[in-house]
Formats: sequence, structure tokens, C-alpha cells
Amino acid sequence: MGKDAKKGCEIGGPDNSDRKALTRAGSVLALADLLWVPQAGLLAWSLGAVLSQSVGASDTQTLPMDVVLVAAVSVILIAVVRVFLQKHARDIARRTARNIQERARSALLFAAVARSPSESFPSSGAFAAHVVDQVDLLGPYYRNFMPQYMRLKLVPIGIVLITAWFSWLAALILLVCGPVIPVFMALIGSRAKAASEEQQEELTRLSGLLLDRIRGLETLTVFGALDRTRSDIHDAGERFRLGTMKVLKVAFLSSTVLELFSALGIAFSAVYVGFTLLGDLDIGTWGTPLGYAGGLFVLLLAPEFFAPLRAFSAAYHDRAAGLAASRKLSELLAEMQAGGPEEKPASNGTQESGTGQGSLNRCDPPAISFTNLSITLSGRPVFDRFTFSIAPAETVLLAGKSGRGKSTLLDCVLGFRTPDTGQVLLDGTDVRFLARELRSSVMWLAQAPRLFHGSVKANLLKGHSSPDAITSDEIWDALRLAGAEDLVRRLPQGLSTRIGENGFGLSVGEIRRIALARAALRSDAALLLADEPTAGLDRETAADVVNGLQRLAKARTTLVASHDATVLGLPGRLLDLDKLGARELEPAK
Amino acid sequence: MRAVRQIVRRQATYDRFHFWIGILVAVLPAAAGILLLGVSGWFITAAAIAGLSGAFLNIFAPSAIIRALAIVRTAGRYGERLLTHDATFRFLGDLRNRLFALHSSTALQGRRSGLLLNRLTADIAALDAIYLRLVVPGAVAVVILTCLLVFWASVSAPVFLAGLVFVLAWTFLAFRSFARPDNNSARRADAASEAMRLRAADMAAGRRDLAVYGGMDAAADNIVDAGHRLERAEDLLEGRAETTSAVSSLVGQTFLAAMLTVCVLGVEDGSISVAFAVGLVLVVIALPEIISVMLAGLENLPRMSLAAGRATKAGQAPSGSGEAQTGIEDPKPCTADVLRFRGISYRYEGAAKNVLDGLSFEIGPGEIVAVAGRSGCGKSTIAALAARLIGPRNGHILLNGRRVDDYREDELRRTVTVVSQRPYLFNDTLAANLRLADPRATDAELWHALEQSALAERIAAGRDGLSAVLGEGGLGLSGGEQRRLALARAFLTRPALFVLDEMTEGLDEETAEDVLGRFLEYRGKSAVLMIAHKQRELDAADRVLHL
Repeated sequence: MGKDAKKGCEIGGPDNSDRKALTRAGSVLALADLLWVPQAGLLAWSLGAVLSQSVGASDTQTLPMDVVLVAAVSVILIAVVRVFLQKHARDIARRTARNIQERARSALLFAAVARSPSESFPSSGAFAAHVVDQVDLLGPYYRNFMPQYMRLKLVPIGIVLITAWFSWLAALILLVCGPVIPVFMALIGSRAKAASEEQQEELTRLSGLLLDRIRGLETLTVFGALDRTRSDIHDAGERFRLGTMKVLKVAFLSSTVLELFSALGIAFSAVYVGFTLLGDLDIGTWGTPLGYAGGLFVLLLAPEFFAPLRAFSAAYHDRAAGLAASRKLSELLAEMQAGGPEEKPASNGTQESGTGQGSLNRCDPPAISFTNLSITLSGRPVFDRFTFSIAPAETVLLAGKSGRGKSTLLDCVLGFRTPDTGQVLLDGTDVRFLARELRSSVMWLAQAPRLFHGSVKANLLKGHSSPDAITSDEIWDALRLAGAEDLVRRLPQGLSTRIGENGFGLSVGEIRRIALARAALRSDAALLLADEPTAGLDRETAADVVNGLQRLAKARTTLVASHDATVLGLPGRLLDLDKLGARELEPAK
Repeated sequence: MRAVRQIVRRQATYDRFHFWIGILVAVLPAAAGILLLGVSGWFITAAAIAGLSGAFLNIFAPSAIIRALAIVRTAGRYGERLLTHDATFRFLGDLRNRLFALHSSTALQGRRSGLLLNRLTADIAALDAIYLRLVVPGAVAVVILTCLLVFWASVSAPVFLAGLVFVLAWTFLAFRSFARPDNNSARRADAASEAMRLRAADMAAGRRDLAVYGGMDAAADNIVDAGHRLERAEDLLEGRAETTSAVSSLVGQTFLAAMLTVCVLGVEDGSISVAFAVGLVLVVIALPEIISVMLAGLENLPRMSLAAGRATKAGQAPSGSGEAQTGIEDPKPCTADVLRFRGISYRYEGAAKNVLDGLSFEIGPGEIVAVAGRSGCGKSTIAALAARLIGPRNGHILLNGRRVDDYREDELRRTVTVVSQRPYLFNDTLAANLRLADPRATDAELWHALEQSALAERIAAGRDGLSAVLGEGGLGLSGGEQRRLALARAFLTRPALFVLDEMTEGLDEETAEDVLGRFLEYRGKSAVLMIAHKQRELDAADRVLHL
């Protein structure tokens, strides 16, 4: 487990077989590039033959037309092979990139599942952005950049060697123009990189500003600050544009240097070959003079020498984005594993559930006992050797100031939090061994309940083991019990109304009532846990909810935390944590 | 598709000069690149012939032309990039401004989902591709190919025909991408990533609820499934783009072989000189680069049109759906009341019946009127109506005797101050958040307001004082402190009417009492419309209106 976690801290990277596959993709791509050499040779050879014939310098009687036709057909055949190889290479690269992305995504999700709900967690926006966007950014890096990198390592060298065979001077022109490029690019690029990273942050800030102001539009409206904000946003946009253009002026310079040298490389090759053929120059070859066909061949190879360099520089942006994404993903993973599951082994009860050490009798209300429970919350001891028992089917009402540990105690029952010492036993079995089964069969209302994307009905049935078995009457009964019947009837599409992000469209109180109905639908549950069930409700609705709770509490072991007097007035035993704290904590000091 | 066209048209009309100059300048380097190879091929062949036959060749002009072309290609490329990017960023900046203006003017209140907005801003950022990757390369390809066709026609009929056949082949490829885009896969990919985003957000924010109702494993599996759907859709899109580029590359190389044959035939029958023939052949080598950029842009069309569709749709949201309808007759001005509702009805969009039906009430000067009732009975609607955040379906609202619709915006905002249930704190400095209420307030006045809302000590204890940054990742204020800050903001105004929308909701007893007490102390002679359900608030009111 520890090893896995450590390995998992670095995600978004290729493993050995991925690396091999990407290398192979790059090599195949390079091979396809180099097949231009025979094509260029065929072109040069046939045009050479035409030229020799037209100036009458040819001794042979070969009709150039035959030569040309053979050359043309061969060029096409080689083209087919090249295209096939290129597609093959891209397919390999694409598949490999997919594998890497999928692994990264799974690692994130695995860590999220393993993380106990009571531990800190990245904000929902950040988590969603990482799972989707950052993982997406890995794709182009591995799919484009890595194969281009391999291509860059092979193709220019191959072209230079072949050119050198005909003329060392032409090869030298390429060699000088080629390697100079990365040097210039590095010089200009390093400046541009720092600036463009800043600019990227600036864009994030600009988008953030726009989002922030739109979300707070109502506040802006009621204070009459709309016009002022409009000009703020305009100014920020202008600043961003000017800043970006400043960065781009430098960044484009680096690709301009590349263009310049590749254009000059071709131009110099052409001029050199031309002057040699004129007879004005006779250096640069290995003794035998550079013939017309040789010269044309050398000229035809020159653009292909620069093509991988240009493709590489175009893909360089993918690399920066991919590496940054990989770093961000690793950081997020580390954040999710900080103080993680190893130290507090309860987490989600996923590991223990299969061991069969304990099982819950679903039908009978269980007894709960807290034995010698000690819990420290951010350095403050909340429970110190706390011992308390709840009989089967008993109702216990938890009172106490906020921060006194009411929610923490409920968390312990569900195994969301593991006490520092001591145990929570359910019918004599440690809840850690029951967590998964328990969670799927408990009536539970959280302090800030959360509904999920989907219809109201889907949300209500979500927690049920056999949603199809629930009748419409049962749903309305549960809603009535939760004081949510009118509320749902008022919704535009009743039960099929879709709920958006964070219960979008519903008020806090409405969300709470629907969540209570969701809990009530688990009618076979033997345990009822509720945390501040009436918070944010008006008096009438709160009374409905309290009545509902009272009905649900019958024949169930019930633990309700609240500071609402009406809830605490339910029939049952009162456990006031404030008083308990004074009694329990003092002797310990 | 229509959306893309709309964006192109909008960008063209937004800044005609830069739009066209960008395209014009982009043609230069492309043409120079083609000529560079063509002239080079012609030059070395002419040189070889001159070398063999001893004929005279003016070598300086061609070699100068070759170097000049190299420079034009480079400089042109640089200029083109700067021009087109600048034009695009200007346009996108304008789009952003318009998006904000739109959201601030229409009745989109309460319909803003963070994720939706996030996507919208990302969409806008992605729209740069329309001009940079689609319009410019497309225009360049069209101009270059047209010029070449004219040029080939002037050379000889076979050359023109060969050229025409292959240009048509490329046109066909482009047309196929353009006219039959794989919109389905793009939409599927989009839906899959959206599903992933939503579920991941649910998974992060609702982990307790998810662990109990539905299970974390199932949620993770859902995301993985959506990931697979995304992969399948993207595979289709990318596979298609690759096939197009492979076919285009094959067309290019076949074109090369064909041009070689045609040109040699021309040399045979003496219609073309050898040097010229070589130049023609080399021009074909430079063509595929221009075509492939254009085709890549076209293959991306489905995704662009989705983004463009959302961005333009956001720009055409129904305006004024909840705006004021016509009144029956002009009510007589009545100066006695600060606020008067007369026969007000309101219905939410999509709702079956009115939430308010013929409501009338008034608030006299300095009076505190509380509105009570079950949640959902329209209490907050009354607050929104009084602040003109929405307009009634029927009836009139009078503020100081004048119809609220007749107020100028700034005048209205000076007259009414709203303290809402969920005050929004901007991701900005504390001072900026406070100065929303009064941009001219001095630091001393800000501190005074903070003191009155019992926040001064807390802020003074912080390192940055008034320049502390609030909001996400900023100074963390508790719920009670946020409410106090909203109160301090309200204390910077002197309105005729305060509208309190459940001001103390969600605060513990002590804080609620303190906040309410401080407000009542401050309000002076201002009238108050109080939306409330807590007994303490109802007790503080002069009159309670039960709905």
C-alpha cells in the first residue's frame, strides 16, 4: 500500500512499455520521412536525364519518357508506403497517449475513493478541472511531442549524411543552419517561456475575474456598481491583450529564427548548387564534380532537413503544457494522500469489507457503544476517553455548542473518522469492519447534505439498493414525511426536475428536506443518524421535519445532533456534550 | 456551423481592417515559400545548362531573388502572426466584455452555475482557433491555388489540366470535412467530458453523501466510463483527421509525379523549357504544407462549432423574460409611503401558478415591516421586486411615490440598499469589496463601518488590514463574519429603504442578535422591508405581513 502510494505520487508519466511504443512511433515516423530520399533521388535522376537529352550531352539512347514514367510510378508507390507508415506511427502514439491518460485518471480517482470523507479534499472545481482538463493536456504531449522528438533525432542526421555523400559543403550549410537554430531558439525561448508562464497565469486571473464578477452580479447590481465593474473588466482585458502581445512578439521571434534559417538554408543550397553547376565554384565535393542530378537532389533534400525542426518547435508548446499538467496532477495526488489512508486506516472501509470479520444484522436495531474514545481536532482534545452506550432502538439526542464534536461523533459511527484511541462498536463489532455495509443501509442526514446532478427522483432513489422496487406512493410518502411534498409539487417538472450543481435551483432548506426524504426511503434501515435536521428551516417546516423524524426513529437506533429545542424535545435520552465535557475532561487534566 | 459563420462575420465587422490585413499578410510568406523552391529549381537548372553549353546566364538577379524570397517568407510570417493574433485577441476581449454586459442586463438572476460559466469562458478562449486556424489558412489556400491555376493556364493546357485535377481533389477533401463534419462524435466527446466534469465535482463536494447514498466506487466507475466514451469519440475524430491528412499527403505526392510527367512531356514537344519545367515541379513540392494547415483547421470544425454555438447562444439569451408588463392605469403619486406594492403578481418562468397574486402593502417613513410565511411562499420574491432585480407580471411598485421603473439605475441604487441572505464576497481586497457600496469612501470611513459591524478588530488583527484579499484562497471569513462584512457594506450607504433578505439566516443565536441589534441602531430614519422567519426579527418589526 505504501509503495503504491509513493509510486502514485508521480502520475501522468509513461511506463517502460509506453516509452518503447513512443520511441517506435517516432522511429516509424522518421523512416517515413527518410523515404523522401529515394523519391527525391528518382525526381533528380529523371529530370537529370531530361536535361542531358535536351542539351544533347547524353550518350545513351534511352528515351527520357521511360525513365520519367518509371520514376513517377515509383514516387507514387513510395508515397503509399510513406502514408501508411505515418498513419501507423500516429496510431501507435495515439493509443499510447490514451493509456497514459487513462492511468493518470484512474490514479486520481483511486486516491479520491480511498480518501476518507472527513479528511480535507481539493475544491470540487479544482478536482473536476484536474480529472478532465489537466489529464487532457497530457494527450498532445505524448501523442505529438514525443514522436516528433524521436523524428528530430533521426531525420536531420540522415539527411546530412546523404547530402555529405554528394557534397560536403552542402552538408556543411545544413549543419551550420540547423544546429544554430536550437541555440537561438533557446536564447529567445527562455525569455519567452518565463513571460508566457506569467501570461498564462494572467489569463487564468482574467477568466477568474470575469467569473467572480458574474457570480456576484446581484451584489454588484444592488450597489449600483455595474458600470464601474464593466470598465474594470474592459481594462483588465486590454491589459491582458497588451501583455500577451508583448510575450508573443518575443515568442514568435524564436520561430522566426527557425523560419529564417530554414529559408536561408534552402536559399544557400540553391545558390551554391547553381554556382557549382555554372562552373564558377568547384569546391565542396569529394573530387568528382557535382552533376546536375546530384545538385538537384541536394536541393530537394534541404527542406526535409528543416521539416522535423519546424514540427518539433510547433509541438514544443504541447510539451510545456503536458509537463505542467503532469506536475499539477502529481501535486493534487500528493495533496489527496497527505496524512492519508495509511495513517488512519479507517478511510473508506474498502479494504476491510471483504474480510468477513463482521456482518450487520439488517433487520434488528443495533446497539452502539463508544468505548474509551479519544479524538483531537486541530490540536484541541474533543473527546477524552469518552464511553457511552446506546441500547437497540433507543433514541439519543446530542446537544452541545458548535465545535463540541457532535458531527465528529456521527462521523465515527459511519467510519468516516477513526478515533485516535478507543473504539466504536456496533453490536459488539468495530464499525471499521462494517463501514461499507453500514453505509449502504443507514438512514443518514448530513449537516450540509449534498444532492447530485440528475432529477429529483434519481436523487431520492440513489441510495436505495433496489430502486425499481420503489413505488411512486412510497416516494410521495417519504417526501411528505420530510415536509417536502409541496416543495416538489411546486417544481416546474415535479419529480423529474433536474437538480444542477450543488442543488442548483433549490434553497438550503429545500435541499435538506429532499435529503431527508432520500434517507426516509431507506425504509429497511435499522439505524438513523441525523445532523442538524432543522437548520435553515422556518418554524412550520421544521415542525413537519421533527414529526417525520419522530416517526422514523420508532424501532430504529437513533442518534440526532441538534441545537434546536424542538428537536431536542423529541422523546429520547439527552446527551449534552457541553456538560459531559466538563465532567469528563476535568479529571484528565 | 451557423455559429462559426456568425463568429467569423462578427469578427470581420468588429475590426474590418485587421481582419483583412491579417489574411493579406498571411498570403505573402506562403507565396514566398512556394516561389523560393520554384525559383531555386529553375535557377540551378538554368545554371547547369549554361555551365554545359557555355551560354551566358545572369546569375545575380536570380540569386538575389532567392535570398529576397527567403527574407520575405521569414518576415512575412512574423508579421502575419503578430497581426492575426492581435486582431483575434481584440475580438475575444470584446466578446468577454459583451458576455458580462449581457449577464448584467438580462434576467438570468439565480441561473448562473459556476461550471457553466467556467465552460463558457473556456469556450471563448477556444474561439481564437476560428480565425487563426480556419479563416486565415483557408483564405491563404484559396488565394494561392487560384493564382497557381491562372498561372498554370498561362503555361500550357496539360499543365493546367493536371493542376486542376489535383486542386479539385484537395477541394473535394476540404469540402468533405466542411460539408459533412462529424458533429456527432464531437458532441459525444463534449458530453462525455461534461459528464466527467460534473461527476468529478459531485465526487469532490459530496463525499459523505456519496459514500452513504450511491457509493464512491460507483461514482469513480461512472467517471471512468465517461472517460472511455470520451476516448472513443476522440478516436473517431482524430482517426478521421488523420485519414484526411493521409489522403491529402498522397494527393500531393501523386500530384508531384503527375506534374513531373506532364512537364517532361511539355519539354519533349518543346512547349516548356527544361529549367521552367523543373521550377514547376518544385512548386508542387511546396504545396502540401499550405493545404495540410487548412485541412487540419477544417477537421477541427465540429469542435469549434460547438464552442461557437455555446458562446453565441449565451449571447442571445432571452432578454427580459421577467420584465415589467404593462400597467392598468397610471397610479396617482402618493408621497406618504416609502414603498408601496399595488396589486403585484409574479410568476416564475415555467411555474404553473403565480407565486404572488395581487399583493398590496405599503411601508411608511421609518417603518419596519417584516414579511413572514412558509418558505416558498414568495418572501424572497418580494425582496427582489422591491430592489427591481425582477419586474412584476402585473401591478405597480412605488418608491417614494414614484414608479420604481422610472428610476434611473444609479438613483434607484442610492435609494434602496439590499442586505441579502447570501452576500457575495468578491475575490478582491477587503477595501474593494466595501467600496462597492461607495467608491468615494475614505479608509477612515471604511474602518468606521467595520467598527459598527464589529469586524474592525478582526480585520486589524490581520496582517494586511484593508488590503487583505477575500474570496477563494483569500482571507477566510466565517459565515458570521461574512454577514458582518455585508452589513459593513450596507453601513456605507444612506438609503431611504433597506431591504433585508433573511439577514441573520444560518447564524448562531448570539451572532444573529448582535447583527440585528447593530443594524437597527444604524438604520436611523430609513424604512426597512425585512424578510424574516425568526421570532426575534419579527419582534423587532413595527408590523408583520403574513403571506
